[in-house]
Amino acid sequence: MEALKNPVMNIETFNVISDVFSQAITGELIGMSNFASLAETIDDPHEKMEAVEHANSERMHAEGFMQYAKKAKLNINMNLTGPYWGNVRKQFLSYAGKKDFIACLIIQEVMLESFAVSMYTDVGTALGGEAGELFLSIAEEEKEHLEHSSDLLRADLKKDPPAFNNKFEELHFNCMTILAEFTATTDLKGHCGVCNGECMKGSMHHIGLDISTMRGNALALYAQSLDNIGIPGEKSIVWIAQLPA
Amino acid sequence: MDSAAAGLDFAVIGHQDSWQNISGFINNMRSAEQEKLSAGKIESIYSFIPPRDIFRIKVRSATGAEINGVYIETFIDPNKLDASFARSNISKVMNAVAWAKKMGAGIVALGGFTSIVLEGNLGSFAEGSTKFTTGNTLTAAYIVKALEKAALKMGLALETANVLIIGATGDIGTACVQYLKNRIGQLLLCARNLSRLEKLANKLLEEKLAVRYTVLPNELVPEADIIICVASTTGMQLANLKKNVLICDAGYPKNIENSTGDSNGSFLFHGGMGQVSGGYHFNPDYTKSMYHYEAPFVVHGCVLEAIVLAFEKRFENYSAGKGNIAIDMIDEMYAMSMKHGIDTAPFYNAKGLL
Repeated sequence: MEALKNPVMNIETFNVISDVFSQAITGELIGMSNFASLAETIDDPHEKMEAVEHANSERMHAEGFMQYAKKAKLNINMNLTGPYWGNVRKQFLSYAGKKDFIACLIIQEVMLESFAVSMYTDVGTALGGEAGELFLSIAEEEKEHLEHSSDLLRADLKKDPPAFNNKFEELHFNCMTILAEFTATTDLKGHCGVCNGECMKGSMHHIGLDISTMRGNALALYAQSLDNIGIPGEKSIVWIAQLPA
Repeated sequence: MDSAAAGLDFAVIGHQDSWQNISGFINNMRSAEQEKLSAGKIESIYSFIPPRDIFRIKVRSATGAEINGVYIETFIDPNKLDASFARSNISKVMNAVAWAKKMGAGIVALGGFTSIVLEGNLGSFAEGSTKFTTGNTLTAAYIVKALEKAALKMGLALETANVLIIGATGDIGTACVQYLKNRIGQLLLCARNLSRLEKLANKLLEEKLAVRYTVLPNELVPEADIIICVASTTGMQLANLKKNVLICDAGYPKNIENSTGDSNGSFLFHGGMGQVSGGYHFNPDYTKSMYHYEAPFVVHGCVLEAIVLAFEKRFENYSAGKGNIAIDMIDEMYAMSMKHGIDTAPFYNAKGLL
């Protein structure tokens, strides 16, 4: 494989980019595992195949990030069992175990994908070049997952709005709380187990980003996703206001 | 949202005017067991939130009729209301407008800063069954009617009074000029834009009216018996006020009383506000964090205009554009308001009821 002709990069920038790729790869592997587990919950053979296809798509995203990381000789650390990624996965598995397809869809396709699409877009725009293009193209693909799931969830909401809203509220507090703690300006539950050294959030300025803006954009996209599904605004604002910060 | 929005007579699009209010409002949404968020944490998230409905409103008319509405928050940063943030703020307002249309509101009031989109861009509001109003007609009506009541209370003869209007070329300022021009002694006009001010003054001079104008308010303050402030400006300092001057502060942010104090027996009240005798109810009830008046059921005139139009089933873009508010509109809107038991608010200022 051809090594990347890196522009001169200081150590701080190199470390942040390494950590950003480490988080992205870990997130994609979580997504891959979640879709694989999701396939188990589905009885319809076509939907089952679709879930496997999604799992493969996440695998390919992970591979794309890994390939770039190898070319750029980045320090990659993958950890699927750290306090944040691991807990999100545990939450997902608890609903997959109950064969709750809708809950799995909400966690993976709405919550995790909203954050992925928004953060990949921010990172891609900030990094530019080949790495930036990679993040932006994967963000586009994840956006399709988000839109596809919104169609399915809108249909489910129409069947029984109060029951759907109650389920969504439970999932929001179980999963979004973890993502909110993870993306707070300081890790509210300690080190994530993915970043190589100290938490990368304090060093994002080396690549022209800051965690407050990234978190704000991610929550904004999550709120828009809830709007697209049809969750009433008066509910979603209270859910968001009750997240840790 | 669609089923819940059935029977939505009106909507109010608005924004908060201080971080203190926002802090109370967001923390009020958190459960009793959760720690309160610091102002800094709230500031880091708040303005990213896309516009959405926050609470339902049920309003009762003196006629016994009831209507249902909703409050839509724009999540505009209160420290970013000036022109340099116009683009992003207008985008937020337009998203809130789309939200109101999606909810199927009959008529929508564009409160506070948000009215600028309807003052300048009528094309976007022409289509669809949801109608929009700046609410400036009823705001102007409450300003001039409250002023008449206050003048009577103070024994001040309006017909000989010198009335200074600060912010005279704005939509509400121009409406006040039109209403007062034949009822007072002399008009003293003040606005930041000299060419617009000259245009307005020349028109009045052509009507053989006594008019003087300036871009510097303190040049005319010493001659004013009555001052109406409808300007959106910060740091205004009025100096050399006449004794017993009557001041109606209807601008935002409120800062006149900081400079005038209690000097010279002046009577300063916050204008453009109404009071609903039939009352209203919010669901969820955020009044604890969002309601700061000492008298009950006090509401901004712009919001009440949409409510009055909804009571009257007049679903039309009543106040739109700039400089279109005629005297007969002020009279009509005030009469409709009174019919539903909604009149000018009791006199109050930052210190409380007067």
